[in-house]
Amino acid sequence: MSPIAQTFELARRDFTQRLKSRAFLLTMLFTVGIVLVIGPIIALAQGDDEARMIAMVGEQPAGSEQSIRLQSDLLEIDIAIERYGSLAAAEDALAAGDVAVVVNGTSELIFNEEPSLQLSAVISGGIANAERLIIADEMGLSGADLEELLFPVQFSERTIEPEETEEDDVKQVAALVGLMILYMSILIFGQFVMMGVMEEKQTRVVEVVLSRVRPTQVLIGKVLGVGLLGLVQIVALGGALIFTVTAADLADVDLTSIGIRFLGLLIIWYLLGYTFYSFVYGALGATISRQEDMQGAAMLPVLLIVPGFFFGQMALVDADMWIARLASFIPVWSPMVMAVRSTTGDVPLWEVLLAIVLIVLTTVVLVRLGGRIYRGAILKTGQRTKLSAAWRSAND
Amino acid sequence: MLVLDDLRKRFGDVTALDGLSLRAHPGRILGFLGPNGAGKTTAMRCVFGLVTPDHGRVAWDGHAIDAATKLRFGYMPEERGLYPKMKIAEQVAYFARLSGLHHDEAEAAASRWLEQLGVADRAESKLEELSHGNQQRVQLACALVHNPVVAVLDEPFAGLDPIGVETMADVLRELAVAGTAIVFSSHQLDLVADVCEDVVIIDHGREVLAGEVSELRRSSPTRYLEVEVDGRPWTREVPGLDSADTNGRHRYVLGRNADIAPILELAAAEGEVTRFSFEPPHLTDLFREAVQR
Repeated sequence: MSPIAQTFELARRDFTQRLKSRAFLLTMLFTVGIVLVIGPIIALAQGDDEARMIAMVGEQPAGSEQSIRLQSDLLEIDIAIERYGSLAAAEDALAAGDVAVVVNGTSELIFNEEPSLQLSAVISGGIANAERLIIADEMGLSGADLEELLFPVQFSERTIEPEETEEDDVKQVAALVGLMILYMSILIFGQFVMMGVMEEKQTRVVEVVLSRVRPTQVLIGKVLGVGLLGLVQIVALGGALIFTVTAADLADVDLTSIGIRFLGLLIIWYLLGYTFYSFVYGALGATISRQEDMQGAAMLPVLLIVPGFFFGQMALVDADMWIARLASFIPVWSPMVMAVRSTTGDVPLWEVLLAIVLIVLTTVVLVRLGGRIYRGAILKTGQRTKLSAAWRSAND
Repeated sequence: MLVLDDLRKRFGDVTALDGLSLRAHPGRILGFLGPNGAGKTTAMRCVFGLVTPDHGRVAWDGHAIDAATKLRFGYMPEERGLYPKMKIAEQVAYFARLSGLHHDEAEAAASRWLEQLGVADRAESKLEELSHGNQQRVQLACALVHNPVVAVLDEPFAGLDPIGVETMADVLRELAVAGTAIVFSSHQLDLVADVCEDVVIIDHGREVLAGEVSELRRSSPTRYLEVEVDGRPWTREVPGLDSADTNGRHRYVLGRNADIAPILELAAAEGEVTRFSFEPPHLTDLFREAVQR
């Protein structure tokens, strides 16, 4: 049997045993379930905003309804208008929550509990404009005269930076979600590797395994098996997220193409980041034999990864900020920061490739270093093994 | 043949192996004996590359042991350990696959070994659900599932009940008949004497006695005489004879060619001689003499 086939066999055991564990399945079902209901919930919440019904009662100037609709379009508020036969009927509808406001003639706006400044502005502005049009018509003013009278000064608008679009907003949200998923996944599955290594040492089974395969194979096999498990979870989570957001049609942009790019970036940077950190976790796991020592041993990778989360948030604000740009090349942080920059900004391809080359090279070095620590520590039971002692013992 | 040749290993100030050599032949069972800390486990780990000797070599059929050769060996370490939450049939098949068996072969071999070791009815149980003795049987199954050419077993009988000991001894004998070279360590010297053809006794990391058990006993210059008169141990002091009390037994220590007739006459003069045993040293005696403790 070739060493590669053995390594895959080791990975297969780790993958299938953990996949079959009740804890993993329940966690997976729970998180995917939560993600799947997010879309409908947001859509429902947005739906409430859209249903702002205006009840009209009594006399208003001709063209008032059309003018109110124009005002609402200008202020980007979705409204609907319904005319009621009596004030009592309109107030009943208001009390029942079917309408947001009652317009009583031209004298009174009636709200249920709290007046809405937006609705007041839309309605009063709309009715006032309708009245102005009538007066202008009576005075024999032309359309141009009226325009000049109503809008004597008009500003044009421009922005220094490209104007933010709805697509940018969607990308921002995607980048934030991606940052959180990457951060959590690298931590969680990295710690799975540490726990797996520690358990094999604690139960002494590792000596039986090492009588058949080399230590580095065991470590690589574990990283592969647990990593594949993480990939399954990321694809399931990311897929559920794209499905629910697209199905609920939460934005007027091409959510599917953004989603596929998001998932692609998530997978690439998860694989790179997880692989990098899992060798650190694996080597440290070999130095401990007890569950109680795990927290202390896991401290180092946590301290390394946490700044990456903050640099990722900086990149969310500005993908080209110098500190975020620099952090996106440093292998301990690039999985999160470059993922955010690539999602929100237009990062040149060479920058992405450079970050990938740097983390791959560093990981190759880590495999050797981690393998040596693992080899030197894995058969030493009892107290936590110091890294220096593990390093020296690797040739024993 | 498995050869360990002039192995030396130091861990800091501690000398674990100090020029140890041994040979294990196909089809024979070698008892690897020594007091605690003598270097047995270190030597066994050297066979599998778990410990790299500072000097000396380990070879199989004249060649250094590479990864492929190692896969033909079976190992049961002193520190028992398997996956507690994995079903035992899956577990044994997994180790068979790691040793190079194909999927179907591995499953068939796992079933066969679980059957042979009397735990087939627990094949679908998790390891942690089994008794200590049954876990030990599964451990042996994992070591032997790929029909190794060499089986290195560190204390395989420790913690087993008499039936378990009998089962395991039978398994080892069958393996040897099939051509496997077996090396095992144990502190149960009567059992070693019963199961092994050859022994190597080591102390402070080096060999102090080695050879065929029967030959070592036969060629020993010492003989032990045990006498009972009227059903009770005869403990009278005999001029010119040394005596030794071992494990509550009173024995006289004589040379191999000693004349025992006068002693029999002396005993007979005091009553009916119900036991008169003149025999070479047991393995326990050889061990004690070799390590001088």
